[in-house]
Amino acid sequence: MRPKVIILFICAIAVIVVSLLIVKADLREAFTTIVTGSLGDMGKLSGTIKEMTPLLILGAAVYLALKAGLFNIGAEGQYTVGACFASFAMIAIGGPLGVAVGCVTGVVCGALWALPAGLIKAYRNGHEVITTIMLNAIAWNLTKAMVAGPLKGKDQLTPSTSVMPAQTQLTPLFRIGNLEIPQSFVIGVVCVLVLAYWLNKTIGGYELKATGANSTAAKFAGVKTKQVTIKAMLLSGGLSGLAGALQVAQFEHRFYDGFSTGYGFDALGVALLAASNPFYLFVSAFFFGALNKGGTALAILGINKGITTVILAAVILMFAVVRYSKNQVNNG
Amino acid sequence: MVDFLLQVITMSSPLLLMAMAGYASERSGVINIGLEGKMLTACFVCAAFAPMYGAIGGVLMAIVAGIIISLLHWSLTQVYRIDHIISGMAINLLASGGTGFLEASGYAKSTIADSQRIPLPVYYVLAIGTPILLFLVANKTRFGLRHKSVGSDPDKARLLGINPQRVRFMALILTGIFSGLAGSLLVTETSTFTKDMTSGRGYIALAALILGGWRPIPAALSCLLFGLATAVQIQLSGKPLFGVEIPSEIWKMLPYIVTLLALAGLLGRNRTPAGLGKH
Repeated sequence: MRPKVIILFICAIAVIVVSLLIVKADLREAFTTIVTGSLGDMGKLSGTIKEMTPLLILGAAVYLALKAGLFNIGAEGQYTVGACFASFAMIAIGGPLGVAVGCVTGVVCGALWALPAGLIKAYRNGHEVITTIMLNAIAWNLTKAMVAGPLKGKDQLTPSTSVMPAQTQLTPLFRIGNLEIPQSFVIGVVCVLVLAYWLNKTIGGYELKATGANSTAAKFAGVKTKQVTIKAMLLSGGLSGLAGALQVAQFEHRFYDGFSTGYGFDALGVALLAASNPFYLFVSAFFFGALNKGGTALAILGINKGITTVILAAVILMFAVVRYSKNQVNNG
Repeated sequence: MVDFLLQVITMSSPLLLMAMAGYASERSGVINIGLEGKMLTACFVCAAFAPMYGAIGGVLMAIVAGIIISLLHWSLTQVYRIDHIISGMAINLLASGGTGFLEASGYAKSTIADSQRIPLPVYYVLAIGTPILLFLVANKTRFGLRHKSVGSDPDKARLLGINPQRVRFMALILTGIFSGLAGSLLVTETSTFTKDMTSGRGYIALAALILGGWRPIPAALSCLLFGLATAVQIQLSGKPLFGVEIPSEIWKMLPYIVTLLALAGLLGRNRTPAGLGKH
């Protein structure tokens, strides 16, 4: 490893240590809290899996876009919009059918929310990072207005839909002692497996990867790169919307203002760390899930959760230096 | 009417400074998605130090912080050659997480008193002056020419004996200075630091820069357009339109929708600096 890479590693770790020292935290206590708080016992592990579930699906969504050369920062907004309208559909219809219809609604809404970014990228060359960030801001305001107004539950004091009845909720798939495996987690695993197959074994996936690797070359090889860009955004948005719908059905059972806690942004880290192999999504999603869960345990110690975002950024940088430091260019 | 114009200036000034920060960086070929993080850091630093060192001290510290973060971006993209977008995103995460974390831990909590801030009109004059200054620098000075040539084709610039890395180093120091000023301006307006207070202004400024075709004066005009959209939103918020009650959230979406429409429709011919993101 080159010396300058080692210098960066030392700096990144120093940033984390110094920020913990600034708030006068005991370093060893902080790190053991993160580890025991996320993996300490079966109950904690269930919590990590719960955190991991949306990260896995959103990670797959961002990963797919990344393979097409797109940075889908908008996963956050697509997730929020998907969750909002999915919860509406679930409450309106109810029962297992409601959950199914809600999931489809989530997929469609998420995909539609990503569509403008895809169209602007393909036909106007407007950078997807800016458009998706704008769509995120619009999504937050729109969903807030929806749950404060037309979708607000009658029994709710804060902007929120009413809580869904038990038969409209997804139950955990099975329990072993304290270890709980939610159904949405299994759906997430299936999503990643299908994605891996699609990317590596089908023409569509190949065209998508070709466009991402070198769009000019792909174009001359006969790939319709504009369509591929739009398709990638639609699929990525659909997956993000699905993550939102499943989060409502499995864990939250309602939609409220401030629903998303930044999973969409963490998902970018998940996808970047998975880098070349979609199966690494499992590892990186687990890592970020554990970090999130451990961060919650830190909050009890009086250390703000923001530290996990700092760790996230440091990890991304360290990884990027090793993995993405060749002349990979995303023309913005 | 005067009130409204004042509001337009208030809303567009931070954008103007940020767009110029973006201009300095992007015209030299460094993609700068991290503007948001730079501005947020400057906000935090100004709020933290102004009560201690007074008005000038706070702004100077904010500028220093802006320069440090900018140079971090420079070293990551130019020395380590990380993808510019990834570096920018990481800087945004670092800034958002770090400032939120420090604020929750009790830093930058106090309100900035009147004696601890530079009067707002000074900032407004600066904000309106910088595009003109940058226009002159870009077209009338040796540095401006080198700056543009590095952004257009770093390889040819290198053949002519210009060191792209060095020019970009200077450019990113400029970015840091402008981000520092923009951050201080924002925190001077609100008097306190709140988590993620920049709320996408860095990105909107970047959109304005793109809309202006990476040229200082048109970019400044686009900033005024976004300022206008925000001012209209503040004016109309809470008032019924044609007898229909419209929630304030819907109005808050206006500047973002204008940004989207600007990127979608009005972009015109592609003026992207050809060397953007190249080494």
